[in-house]
Amino acid sequence: MATAVATAGHDSHAEGHGEHVHYTSTGLENRKIAVWAFIGSECMLFASLISTYLIYKGRSRVGPWPHEWGCKTSAAVAKTRELLQGCSPADVMKPILDIPVTSQSTFVLLMSSLAMVLALAAVETKGTPLPAGAGWWDRCLASSKFWLMATAVMGATFLGYQSYEFTSFVHEGLTIKTNLFGSSFFTLTGFHGAHVTAGVLWLLTLFAIDVKRGLKGKTDVLLVDICALYWHFVDVVWIAIFTLIYLIQ
Amino acid sequence: MTRTPHRRHGAGFFVVAALLALAACSTQDYPNTTFTHNSDLNVDVNALWDRVLFMATGVFIVVEAILVFTIFKFRAKPGAPMPKQIHGNHVLEIVWTMIPVFILIPLAIPTVKTIFKTQAPAPAGSLQVEVYGHQWWWEFRYPQYGVTTANELYIPTGKTVNFTLRTVDVLHSFWAPGLGGKRDLITNKTNYLWYTPNADLAEQVFNGFCTEYCGSSHANMRLRVYTVKPENFESWAAHQKAGAEGSPALIAAQKTADSIAKKAPAKAAIVPTPGGAPSPPVMNTGYVFPAANLKAHNIPRTPIPASMKFDDGLLAQGDAAAGHALVTNPVNMGKAPCLTCHLIRGEQAFLTDDNAKGPNLTHVASRHTFAGGLFPSNPANLARWIKNATAMKPGATMTTFGIGEYSSLMKAKVTAGLTDKEIADIVAYLMTLK
Amino acid sequence: MATTAAPAPGQTPTAGGSYAAGEQTGIWSWLATVDHKRIGTLYLWTALSFFIVGGIEAFIIRLQLMRPNGQVVSAEVYNQLFTMHGTTMVFLVIMPLSAAFFNYLIPLQIGARDVAFPRLNAFSYWVYLFGGVFMTIPIFFGAAPNGGWFGYAPLTTMQFSGGLNIDFWVIGLQILGISSLAAAFNFITTIINMRAPGMTLMRMPIFTWMSFIVQFLLILAFPAITIALVFLQFDRFFGTQFYEIAAGADPLLWQHLFWVFGHPEVYILILPAFGLASEILPTFSKKPLFGYNVMVYSGIMIGFLGFGVWAHHMFAVGMGATADTIFSMATMLIGIPTGVKIFNWIATMWGGQIRFTVAMKFAIALVALFTIGGISGVMHSSPPTDLQQTDTYFIVAHFHYVLFGGSIMGIMGGIYFYYPKMTGRYMSEKIGNWHFWLFFIGMNLTFFPMHFSGMLGMPRRIYSYDVGQGWETFNFQSTIGVMIQGLGLILFVYNFLKSKKTGAVAPGDAWGAGTLEWSIPSPPPEYNFAQLPVVTSRYPLWDLKHPEMTAGLAHSGPDAMTVTDSHATPMHEETEYKNAADLGIPMPFPTIKPLFTALFLVLMFSGLLFIHLDLFPVALTIMIGCAAAFVGSLYGWLTSPLE
Repeated sequence: MATAVATAGHDSHAEGHGEHVHYTSTGLENRKIAVWAFIGSECMLFASLISTYLIYKGRSRVGPWPHEWGCKTSAAVAKTRELLQGCSPADVMKPILDIPVTSQSTFVLLMSSLAMVLALAAVETKGTPLPAGAGWWDRCLASSKFWLMATAVMGATFLGYQSYEFTSFVHEGLTIKTNLFGSSFFTLTGFHGAHVTAGVLWLLTLFAIDVKRGLKGKTDVLLVDICALYWHFVDVVWIAIFTLIYLIQ
Repeated sequence: MTRTPHRRHGAGFFVVAALLALAACSTQDYPNTTFTHNSDLNVDVNALWDRVLFMATGVFIVVEAILVFTIFKFRAKPGAPMPKQIHGNHVLEIVWTMIPVFILIPLAIPTVKTIFKTQAPAPAGSLQVEVYGHQWWWEFRYPQYGVTTANELYIPTGKTVNFTLRTVDVLHSFWAPGLGGKRDLITNKTNYLWYTPNADLAEQVFNGFCTEYCGSSHANMRLRVYTVKPENFESWAAHQKAGAEGSPALIAAQKTADSIAKKAPAKAAIVPTPGGAPSPPVMNTGYVFPAANLKAHNIPRTPIPASMKFDDGLLAQGDAAAGHALVTNPVNMGKAPCLTCHLIRGEQAFLTDDNAKGPNLTHVASRHTFAGGLFPSNPANLARWIKNATAMKPGATMTTFGIGEYSSLMKAKVTAGLTDKEIADIVAYLMTLK
Repeated sequence: MATTAAPAPGQTPTAGGSYAAGEQTGIWSWLATVDHKRIGTLYLWTALSFFIVGGIEAFIIRLQLMRPNGQVVSAEVYNQLFTMHGTTMVFLVIMPLSAAFFNYLIPLQIGARDVAFPRLNAFSYWVYLFGGVFMTIPIFFGAAPNGGWFGYAPLTTMQFSGGLNIDFWVIGLQILGISSLAAAFNFITTIINMRAPGMTLMRMPIFTWMSFIVQFLLILAFPAITIALVFLQFDRFFGTQFYEIAAGADPLLWQHLFWVFGHPEVYILILPAFGLASEILPTFSKKPLFGYNVMVYSGIMIGFLGFGVWAHHMFAVGMGATADTIFSMATMLIGIPTGVKIFNWIATMWGGQIRFTVAMKFAIALVALFTIGGISGVMHSSPPTDLQQTDTYFIVAHFHYVLFGGSIMGIMGGIYFYYPKMTGRYMSEKIGNWHFWLFFIGMNLTFFPMHFSGMLGMPRRIYSYDVGQGWETFNFQSTIGVMIQGLGLILFVYNFLKSKKTGAVAPGDAWGAGTLEWSIPSPPPEYNFAQLPVVTSRYPLWDLKHPEMTAGLAHSGPDAMTVTDSHATPMHEETEYKNAADLGIPMPFPTIKPLFTALFLVLMFSGLLFIHLDLFPVALTIMIGCAAAFVGSLYGWLTSPLE
C-alpha cells in the first residue's frame, strides 16, 4: 500500500499544445494503439481477399485470363500464343496482366513509403535549427509540406496507373462481371485502391493542416505517425498483391 | 438460499440413464434411429459412437458429481471463518490438463482410422448411383442400368453402393440415417458416399432426408431407400429401364422381343424374369416393393390443405387413353405441357435426364410416394397435385393447372388450364406407368 | 477509507441509489451520452429487448414443432423465424449483452475514468441499435431474412433468393460488423493503455482478461465475414460472380470464409460469460479464483485454437480424409483448455464458503451446463460420428447447451451480480430464484430431448415433420420446456424493471467482492474514481478489507516500478458522490454527433435496397446524400473538442 505516489507524472506528457494529457499504462498514445489494432484487422481483411483470388485462380470458365492466352469463341486456353490452337486471330485474348506497367506503379508506391518516412522525420525534427551552410537539400529534407505532398502525389500516381490498368482491362473484355478472375481481381485491387485513396485524402488533410498552422510538436508527430503506419501498411499489402497476383503465374 | 442445490443434478443423471437405455432401443419406436448396424459404414460409426458415448457419459458423471459434491459440501455455514485463500496448485492443474489428453487419445486414434477407412474410394464393382439434388426432390440415376427415378431409391442388400452426389441448384445433403452418415451435395463439386447394406438385412424401407437447408421446402425434401434382395433389385432395375407403358417405343420393343423370342427363346428376354422363361408381354413384371410391406412410418401422412377441392368421383371415370393423348400428343402441348419438364421415356423426347426440370415419370406409378416423399402416390393425391402443386408444397415450381385455382407463381387465377375431368384422365394415364 | 465487512443486502449505505448532483437526466442525456456506463446500460436495455424478440421467435418455432405436421405458421414464415432467431440471438443479443458488460465493467475493473475513445463508443452503440432495427423491421412485412443465420451460398444469391429478405440480412450484418469492430479497437486500446497504476496485465480481473481476448477474436474474425458479405453484396447488387453457379463458383468459399469467422464467433459469445462466472464464483466462495494464470492462458489458448478449427462445421462437405483429420484433431485439442477451466472453477469453490445467491446459482449452472455442451462438442469432433449428427437436432442441443447453458446463464448471473452496481439496488432474490429454476428446468427440458430427436434422425431447420417418425415425444417436451423458460423470462423482466425502484438499496461493495469496481459507490459517479487507485494485487479490495488473509501471496504487494499519475492514490474505498467539476476531473462533453454519424451510415447502406426495387436513381440519391451527411457528421465529430 505504501507505493510512492509520483507527483511529477505530468511533466513528461505535457508537451504539445499544453492540453491535458491522460496517464496511459504504456506511455503510448491511445490512437497509436488503436491504429495498430486496426492494421491487425486489415491484415485479415486482405488475407481473405487474397485467399479468394488464389482459390479462384484457374476456376474461371471464360477468359480473359491473367497469365494465359484464351479464345473468345471457345474454351481454349494455353500458356503461350503458339500453343493456342484453332482460334482465329480476331478472337485471341492475350494474357491480361501487364507486369512491366504494374512494376512501374509498384515502384512509385514503394518510393512513396520513403517519402512518408522523410515526412515524418521532417515533422519530428521541426523546430531544430538547420545546420550552418545547409543547402537546398537540407532545406528540402526539413520541409514536411514537401514530403507530405510528395507522398500524396506518388499515391495519386499509383491510383492513376490503376485506373489506366482497369480501363485497359475493360477494353480487353475483362470486367468485374466477366468471370471469377475478373470478380476477384477487381474486388481485391479495388479494395486496395480504395485504401490508397483514403490514404491520399488523409495525406492531403495533413498537408492542409501543415499549410494552415504548421505540423509541430508531439501531438502532431502522432498525427503524422499514425498516417505513416497506415501508409506503410497499404504499401506492404501491395507488395503481397503484386507478388502473389502478378509475379507468380 | 442453500436449499438443495444438488437436486438439480438428479435430472442430469436420469437423462444419462435414459440416453443409455435409448441407445439400445428397438427401431420399432424410432424408425429413423442412427443407432443401427444395418451397413458396414454404420457398424464402424457406431463402434466409434459407443466409445465416444461411454467416455462422454463417464466424464459427465464424474465432473457433475464433483461439482454437486463441492457445492453441497462447501455451502456457507453460519459463523464459519474465512476460508483458506488458495490461489492455485501447479501439480493439480497439470494433472487436470493431462486428464483430457488421456481421454482424447483413445478417441483420436480410432477416429483417424475410421476417417481413412470410410473415405477411401469405393471398392471396384460397386453399384453406382448418381444422386442429383433438386429444389426440392431427389433424382437417382443408375448409370450401369440406364435407369432414372425420383425420391425412391432401390439398393440390393449385400452389395456396395457408391453414391455420386451432385446438385443442380443449391446445396443439399443426402442422409438415410438407418444406413449411414450424410454427405453434402455441393454445387460445382462431386462428392461420394458408399456403404454396403448387410447381406442379411430384411427387405425394408428407410426414410431419408435432406439435411442441408435448401430453401422453402427443405423440410419436404424426403426420400425412401428400399433395401431389397439382389434378385429383386435386378428385376426392378430391368423393368425401370424399359420404356413407359403404352409408349410407341415400348410397343416397338415388344414387337422386336416377340419376334426374337420366336427365333431364339432362350436369350430373348428384355427383362430377366425370375422364372427364367421369357414371357412377353414384358409390362408390369418388374419387382416393386409391395405396398403391404410398408411400415406406418414409410407412408407419408402430410395433410392436404383444406382448400384443395377435387371431385374424387371423376377419378373412377378417368380415361387413360385420353390422358395419354393429353400428355403425349404435341397438339396438346399448350394445354398439358407435362413433357416440357418431365421425361417419359419412349414418348415424345423433348428432353433428356440432364435438362428435365421435373422428376422422370416413366415409371411413376411404381413409386409409393411423390413430391419429395411428401404424399402417398394415389390418384386422389396426384389429381390435386396436378391441379395446384404449390398449394400442396411450399415453393413447388410445378405449374398450377386447375382452372380457377390461384397460382402463386403467376400471382393470378388460372383461366386456361385443365378441368377436373381432364386431370382425372391424366391421372388415369399416370397410374398405368407402372 | 471504509473497512467495513461486506454489508448484507438491505443495509443502508451512505449514498446508495441516488445520483449525485450535476448528473444529467432526461432523454437528451441518453442520446448524447459518451459515458461508458450509460452506453453499457443502453446496450443492456437494447439487447434485452432483442432477447424478448428472439425469445418470441423461438416460442413460435417451438409451437410449430410441438406436433407433427404443425400448422401454426407457413414454411416461409418458419424459415424467416429460424433465420431471425439465430441472427438475433447471436448478433443482437449475446454479443451486445457482452458488450454491455464490456462497456460498463472494463473501465471500472481496470481503474479508468472512461474508455479510450468515448465518442467512438457511443458510435458503436448507435450503429448496433440502428443495424438491429434495420434487420428486425422487415419481419413485420414478411420480408425478413430467410437464408439461415449462416446464409450459405448459392441459396442466398439472386438466382435463388430474389427478394429483399437476404438484402436485409447482408446489409444488416455489415452494419453490425462495423459496430463490433469499432468497439473492439476501442476496448483493446482501453485495456492496453488505460489501466490504473499498478494494474499489470496479470493483475487484471479475469472478466477483463476474457474480454481482452474476445476483442482480439473480434478484430481478427470479423474481416473474414465482412469479405464474405462483400462478395455476396457485390453479387447481388453489382453482378459479380463470386457465388454464381454458372460461372463455376465454389460454394465452399462462402463456407470457409463464414466459418473462419463463425468459429471464433462461438468463443466471442462464450468467453465473456466465462469471465463473468469467474468473477461471481470467487466472490460467493470467498476465495480467489483458483489458478488465475492457467485461467488466463487457457482463455488465450481457446482463442488461438479457435482460429484453427473452423472446418469442423464442414465435415459433411467432402473436404477429404486429410483435412477432416487435421480439423478433427485441432477440435479435440480445444477440449483441453476448456476442461481446465471447468476444473479450475470447481477448485475455486472447493474449500470455500459458498453463498447461493441467484447470481451464484446462474454461475454454477454455467459450469454444469457448459460441461454438457462441451462434452457433446467433443462427441462430434470425430468426423465419422459427426456425419450422423451434423445438421440434426443433436447439434441444436449441443450449441444451445453452449450458448444458452453457457453464455445466457453466465450473462444472467452477471446481470444479477452487477445490477446493484449499476442501479444502486439489488434485484429481488426471491423472484430471481423462481427465474433461475424456471430457466434451469425449462432449459434442460427444452434442449436435452433434442439430443435424442437428433440421434433418432430429425434434421434441423425443418418447418414440419411427419407423423410416426419417433420424434413426437421429444418435440413435445421441448415445446413445454420453452414455455417454462418463457415464464422465467417474464419473471426476469418484471424483476429487472421493478427492482430499479423498489429493490433493497445496495452499498458500493454490494457482495463483498474483491475487484476495483466494488470500491466505488453504487451506482458509480460519472467520473468513476475520484482518485485513481494504485493497484497492488488481483483482489485489491479484499487486501484492503482482509489484509491478514492475503499477506505473502505472490500476486499481492506493491511493486517498486509502479508508475503513477498525480491523480493516483493508494488503494482505498470511495463512498461519497462528488461533482466531477468540484474534483477537477475533466469529463468528455456529451455530443449527439456519433448518433447522427451512425444514423447516416445505416441509412447510406439501406439505400442499396432500392437497387433491387429497380429504383436506381433513388438508391443513388439516398446513398450519396447520406454519405455526404455521414462525412459532415464525422467532420463535426472529429473537429469538436473531447473535453
